[in-house]
Amino acid sequence: MPRFALHRLGYSLLSLFLLSVVIFLFVRVTGDPAVLLVEPGAGAADMAAMRHQLGLDRSLPVQYWSFLTGLFRGDLGKSFYYRTPVLELYLSRLPNSLLLAAVAMAFSLLLGIPTGIMAAVRTGGWWDGAGKVFALLGLAMPSFWVGLLLILFFSVDLGWFPSSGSGTPLHLVMPAIALGWYFAAAHMRLTRSSMLEVLGSDYVKLARLKGLPEWRVIAKHAFKNALIPVLTLAGINLVIMVNVAVVVETVFAWPGIGRLLYEGITFRDFPVVQATVLLGGGMIVIVNFFVDVLYAVIDPRIRYER
Amino acid sequence: MTPGMLRGFVVLFLAVALATPVLSAEGTLTWGVHVTLAARWLDPQETEGVITPFMVLYALHDALVKPMPGSMNTPSLAESWSASKDALTYEFVLRKGVKFHNGDPVTAEDVKFSFERYKGSAAAVLKAKVREIQIVDPGRVRFHLNEPWPDFMTFYGTSASGAGWIVPKKYVEKVGDDGFKRAPIGAGPYKFVSFNPGVELVMEAFDGYWRKKPSVQRLVFRSITDEATRAAALKRGDVDIAYLFAGPIAAELHRTPGLRLVAPLLSGVFWLDFLDQWDPKSPWHDKRVRQAASLAIDRAAINQAELLGLGTIHGNWIPPQFEFALTLPPPAYDPTKAKALLAEAGYPHGFDAGDFHPFPPYDSMGEAVANYLQAVGIRTHLRTMERAAFLTAMREKTIKGVMINITGAAGNAATRLEAYVAKSGIYSRGVVPEIEDLLQRQAREPDPRVRQALLHQAQKLVIDHALYAPIYQLAFIWGLGPRVEEPAADLIKMHAYSAPYEDVRLKK
Repeated sequence: MPRFALHRLGYSLLSLFLLSVVIFLFVRVTGDPAVLLVEPGAGAADMAAMRHQLGLDRSLPVQYWSFLTGLFRGDLGKSFYYRTPVLELYLSRLPNSLLLAAVAMAFSLLLGIPTGIMAAVRTGGWWDGAGKVFALLGLAMPSFWVGLLLILFFSVDLGWFPSSGSGTPLHLVMPAIALGWYFAAAHMRLTRSSMLEVLGSDYVKLARLKGLPEWRVIAKHAFKNALIPVLTLAGINLVIMVNVAVVVETVFAWPGIGRLLYEGITFRDFPVVQATVLLGGGMIVIVNFFVDVLYAVIDPRIRYER
Repeated sequence: MTPGMLRGFVVLFLAVALATPVLSAEGTLTWGVHVTLAARWLDPQETEGVITPFMVLYALHDALVKPMPGSMNTPSLAESWSASKDALTYEFVLRKGVKFHNGDPVTAEDVKFSFERYKGSAAAVLKAKVREIQIVDPGRVRFHLNEPWPDFMTFYGTSASGAGWIVPKKYVEKVGDDGFKRAPIGAGPYKFVSFNPGVELVMEAFDGYWRKKPSVQRLVFRSITDEATRAAALKRGDVDIAYLFAGPIAAELHRTPGLRLVAPLLSGVFWLDFLDQWDPKSPWHDKRVRQAASLAIDRAAINQAELLGLGTIHGNWIPPQFEFALTLPPPAYDPTKAKALLAEAGYPHGFDAGDFHPFPPYDSMGEAVANYLQAVGIRTHLRTMERAAFLTAMREKTIKGVMINITGAAGNAATRLEAYVAKSGIYSRGVVPEIEDLLQRQAREPDPRVRQALLHQAQKLVIDHALYAPIYQLAFIWGLGPRVEEPAADLIKMHAYSAPYEDVRLKK
């Protein structure tokens, strides 16, 4: 088992190393950030001074080495745009993203799972039709549009919620709905298909033959088993919500990681983009590592296959 | 004086003192700003030559000389300044009794330190021109230049750079550059309270400000980069002032009861830039074609659609508010004459004019101009670009065809001509010898009247040669909520934001 874990750890570190190389090179393909940081009429000397200040006048290997060694010291560099340490920026935004993602996930599960179950149990009926329409709308409507509709109706017309920003529970409601809406539709679809599959299985038929009440068959035998793929998807979606809620966070001026990434891309702020992508990727790699190890603990065949 | 009289005076004095209300700042004013608030704007050291950082600097910091209502070079921390006849020495006398927010006095040492520390836009040119900074005494400082430079105060005493904005030497040396950005101390009308990068900046009134005591106790700048969200925040009262609206959203705010719009004019005039005119094989090489393009544009209609008519139409591509600017009558809209000129130039059925590049993010305005050109037969291919890529291509001169151009850089008519028309200009693509000669002569001319005459001639020639076709001066539309009495909009000419902040007032 330790050998298996070490093997997986090696893969994880290799993935992170490759990610660091790719993102380092990728941001540099986008062009020169100095052009956005000097006034339009600035001369060549001012441009050169700005590139020197940002450390962009060094060769690529030197820049990468500096980036890599910084990583080991816990230094993700200094933002070109903000001129503050990126780690500080990231950590100041992370709690907001975690909070928004948690509430949006709760919303998407509370809406998506019951709707999916009802649609599966009443296949072809009214509930199923309504569920399909909901799923279609959820997946088709862009989140920025949902966000703007929510702002116009609930904030401007009704005055129930603040239009943007953060700080109180009321600030959370609309961004969480706008972000969770798409994922609710995805969770609903998966719950429905998973439930349909489980409801057709032999053990559910047997439970029914045994004369168990229908609600018990659904709740105890079908739902619990149908939930496994939904929760697996929800776990991945949670990481996505934390790291790439770019549009929703921008529309609602929510100070999270997604907005930071958007700003980083807009201003060609290489250190910010590198850090957000690498830390987001790091989260996925760590989660995958633990899942792999957990699988191996649960199912010995996996570790023997290695 | 008898004891009875003395008692009477004391009683009278106390009665007057007690009856006079102590005026103190009150209330909170919140702005929804269109940009992402950056820590570097808290420190004048890193100021770019664009107007955005001055949104913050005017609150937290102060300059020796800066643009204020009435004048672009108003003595502030300096009570006066003078230039020697040979334009080689500039002397500043500091205002007495002025203090930073931490109670330290503003001294000549701070002035010297701030200049030497400055590394923002124009640092290279300023430091190349200034030979020495001499501290005559704690209240007097003298700048010695290497050679006569008539534009020294344009760079040092306006928003063309942040070199004249003063920071406390002792405090900066104690906390370092990063520490200063975390907790900046300045000599402006507002003190720093808190800053969440990209999210919110909070400041409170500094009662010891030399010019006047601010009226509003607390200022909050909140970054809301999405225009529709900013409009919603204003309508709902989440913010009192919101910056930058255009087109339909501006019109919607204009119709909303309780809200009003103001629109300071910026230092940028859009102009049509005929990039290919220097290529003898290009149709744009013919002056009549360029004149036809100018006649084809209905500027008033585009201004109405984009800015609710709040921009202003000029016959010059240099804003009339600039020093040495020449005022010219607005260009006519005459598509019939435009077609006639095209026919005269050998294009009776129009021509394929290559690529057309709007200046991002003003794509819709560019599209409108391209449509007007199309209507007279000048057929272009609209190419919209991401802003950074566009600026790079512009700087590297890889953009071809025709483009909409604009710049908000501070300065005067000479600095603008130097960047876009002079042989050495960063964006110049060709030279008209007659204009170049005028520009060379004005750069050496110490007499402002002679200099103005030379610059007026140069500007007239640019338009006569149809090198550029001005469109309209950009208005920066703000929305104001019902609580705002004095937003301090447009008090300082061509300043995009509220300023001076000590003049801002809420309704009682």
